[in-house]
Amino acid sequence: MASSSSYSSSSCNSPCAACKFLRRKCMPDCVFAPYFPPEEPHKFANVHKIFGASNVSKLLNEVLPHQREDAVNSLAYEAEARMKDPVYGCVGAISVLQRQVIRLQKELDATNADLLRYAGDSCNRGTGRGPHHVGQNSGSYNFSSPYDPYGDHRNQRSSGQGNM
Amino acid sequence: MIIKTVDECSFFPTMTIKGGTSQACAACKYQRRRCIKDCDLAPHFPADQPKMFQNAHRLYGVSNIMKILRQTHPEQKEEAMRSIIYESNMRAKFPVTGCMGIINQLNFQLQQALEELRYVRTHLAICRDQCQYQYNSPSCPSSQLQLGIQTNDHEALQLYQQQYQYHQYNSAAGSSAGGGGMSLMANEYLANGINGVYIDENDSVVKPLRVQQFYYGNNNVDAAVAVQHNLMTPQGFPIQQEMDVPHDYDDIPFDTIADDRQSYIESKEACESSAESAFKGTATQSIEHVTQNDLKSAAACFSLTS
Repeated sequence: MASSSSYSSSSCNSPCAACKFLRRKCMPDCVFAPYFPPEEPHKFANVHKIFGASNVSKLLNEVLPHQREDAVNSLAYEAEARMKDPVYGCVGAISVLQRQVIRLQKELDATNADLLRYAGDSCNRGTGRGPHHVGQNSGSYNFSSPYDPYGDHRNQRSSGQGNM
Repeated sequence: MIIKTVDECSFFPTMTIKGGTSQACAACKYQRRRCIKDCDLAPHFPADQPKMFQNAHRLYGVSNIMKILRQTHPEQKEEAMRSIIYESNMRAKFPVTGCMGIINQLNFQLQQALEELRYVRTHLAICRDQCQYQYNSPSCPSSQLQLGIQTNDHEALQLYQQQYQYHQYNSAAGSSAGGGGMSLMANEYLANGINGVYIDENDSVVKPLRVQQFYYGNNNVDAAVAVQHNLMTPQGFPIQQEMDVPHDYDDIPFDTIADDRQSYIESKEACESSAESAFKGTATQSIEHVTQNDLKSAAACFSLTS
């Protein structure tokens, strides 16, 4: 019995998920093989459906080898998000998270204001000392994100402080 | 508006130019094809922003974009295109992590905000109780407490916080460890992180908050990192090391200069006598003992009144 051509990459290695999906011979230098194992066929199926194998191949070739695994994982994540939500994809999650961060920041500001008020009151009443700031950097987080998907300025609390 | 029909052109005998100002959209320009009147991509890729289409083309490709547009409702096409363009731009800017890196960073910020909010609320509750306590107990403890605060302000407050937080914060603290796939910009948090303290759920020691990075996947700085809270022993908190949380006040070691009674904390007279003992003896030694005894008495009075 002649050996199957799809298994010519190695006598003991099965073709990667990408080559299986594309029904081609999985070469030893296959760019997809390290990142799309045959045990996860859906991973490549999603990525190919949304982005296309050629685009993914080009993207992988543009990053350093030690970064490729993370690039593939992020692409798989975005592809899956786009499959679930064809309109917004993973950008919907970004919008939701930004709103939550802003809401929390407002709540934090209000709570800090209350704290300062109480600390000031206790200072005036008894000790004669200044208010105690146990948290040195309370409320000083930069929650602004310049990566507002829809250009909504209410998402930007402070400008000029890119987080990434 | 001047409309010309270029008949003499042998290549495009039917090409129509409107006023000489119409331009092919960025998509058609990139593909070097004629931009028809009903080009689906023209509204989303204006000619003056070629980079936008290049990014989208690089990540998705025209056919995939068109496939997505066909799947969406006509009213949602614009939103879909905006998300595609945003995703493509982020991928161009961050080739490794793309939008997932932004999501991880936002998750990280959210976790930190929740942590800080929880901490500030706890501190606020302490301040409220402290104010109420000072109002309700004008005798014995307040003077000693004030004295304790005035002599050793920071330690007294922290001991009070420690006792309060141990009872109030058991279930709240320590449950905020970062999940998997956290922000790749945890360094920024390290630079701006909290130097405050909180009580771990497992013990009563006040510990500063630290963040330890873990790499997700391989050893790549740009990879999504998993952030966990790495609790370190505090510095400058001698009282916590010397004294355990006084659940059972009989176990508190008794050590004053002039007072030989063992259970003085359980009575007001004991509080007053400890106050008197505070003024006896040498300056430095008496101040230390006064501080500890006053704190004990304050804690006892607090527990008795509460």
